[in-house]
Amino acid sequence: MLRTSEEARLNVPEDLRYTKNHEWVRVDDTGIVSVGVTDFAQDALGDVVYVDLPDLDRSVAAGEGFAEIESTKSVNDVYAPVAGTVVAVNDALMDTPELVNSDPYGDGWFARIDPGGEPDLSSFMDAAAYRALIEAE
Amino acid sequence: MPVQYDGVLAEHAAVRQAVGVFDVSHLGRFDVTGPGATELVRRQLCNDVTTVASGRAQYTMALNDRGGIVDDIIVWRYADDGYWVMPNGTNFDEILGRFVDNAEAATTVAAVRDDTVLIAVQGPDSPRVVEAVIGVMPGRFRVIDGEFAGGWFRAGGTGYTGERGAEIAVPSESGENLFEALLEAGATACGLGARDTLRLEMGYPLWGQDLDESTTPMEAGLGWVIGWDHDFVGKTAVSRQQDNGVPRALVAFACEGRTIPRHGHQLRAGSSTGEVTSGNFSPTLGHGIGMGYLAPPIEPGTQIEVEIRHKWVPTQQVDPPFIKT
Repeated sequence: MLRTSEEARLNVPEDLRYTKNHEWVRVDDTGIVSVGVTDFAQDALGDVVYVDLPDLDRSVAAGEGFAEIESTKSVNDVYAPVAGTVVAVNDALMDTPELVNSDPYGDGWFARIDPGGEPDLSSFMDAAAYRALIEAE
Repeated sequence: MPVQYDGVLAEHAAVRQAVGVFDVSHLGRFDVTGPGATELVRRQLCNDVTTVASGRAQYTMALNDRGGIVDDIIVWRYADDGYWVMPNGTNFDEILGRFVDNAEAATTVAAVRDDTVLIAVQGPDSPRVVEAVIGVMPGRFRVIDGEFAGGWFRAGGTGYTGERGAEIAVPSESGENLFEALLEAGATACGLGARDTLRLEMGYPLWGQDLDESTTPMEAGLGWVIGWDHDFVGKTAVSRQQDNGVPRALVAFACEGRTIPRHGHQLRAGSSTGEVTSGNFSPTLGHGIGMGYLAPPIEPGTQIEVEIRHKWVPTQQVDPPFIKT
């Protein structure tokens, strides 16, 4: 679907970790894990028109579908990258889901999960590995 | 045609507010000419083509013996005994085969899809753009012939968006030239994604989703497409249903907020049940809209609910189109 020239301009920040499902993961100083979808994912989905977010305080398993993202083209699950408790959701996406397109790593974040301890980041990709993945797709 | 060029929402807005251009060359088209052409078209398709004069277009359908919709079709009557029959791309071979098998010796049936390019120009600014490129804008449901780039064009005032527009066919070698000239004149290139949201806002059915061989015109709310004063394939079955009533019927509905009904979601209304056949976000309205079938048919005013993410969401029944153009 995407041409190589477009992949080259997609943003893959160095300070984040990535899943094979095109979510990004950021761990803050207190161990809370923020989750969103990548620039590649939003570009492939097209215009995002609805986001279904998990309930606060919900317990999620690693790899569980815990949110949905709808574009004019398709509906896709967003998976919890780590197990834990949902401690924040980005309510702004309810009225302005297009933030996922315009600022996927910033105002377009989905949720924050408290993993209840040191999260295991070993299964995630760094920016270089993720860049290689999307160039192969 | 790609799903999108610059984004479905931008392309959708271009068609509603200005003008968009779609490469719809995948649509079927074949030529039916000669003595017997009119009777062949009349017999194979359920609308009565003799009710439109030469130089006019008609929306019609091919039915099976059970009254099911084998395809919905646009016919361009470009001469008294000359027709372009334009089925959906997926049904092209089936419909072409029916015409070939039933043509008399003096009637010629010839595929023209592979030798031509078909471009749809749609939107309130389409007359300006079409006139700039081919010199003339066909009126609504009118069919005209003319010259383009040293060759010919055939154009109809038809489309699938609800906006003023034209569909223009040219020989394949002129296709790129035509598409580029329309872009140059100010049209926005649009893809399949916008084509789908635009047609859904008008409540236009899509064959393969809202229509299929087990669905009759009456069930789909398309009884008006049947011309009762002539003989056609499937007439006995649809006549019976016309007298006895339908077991299920298409409904259109709008959701509040941003929850979006999708193909396959469950529907319920009173004691009736069914499924969504088309659903999406309406870019013009800013909320979800959909269509689907309920069995048995419901009384007007019955609350329709759709199951989205395991929750039954109330909807507002709508008499299509969803928007006024």
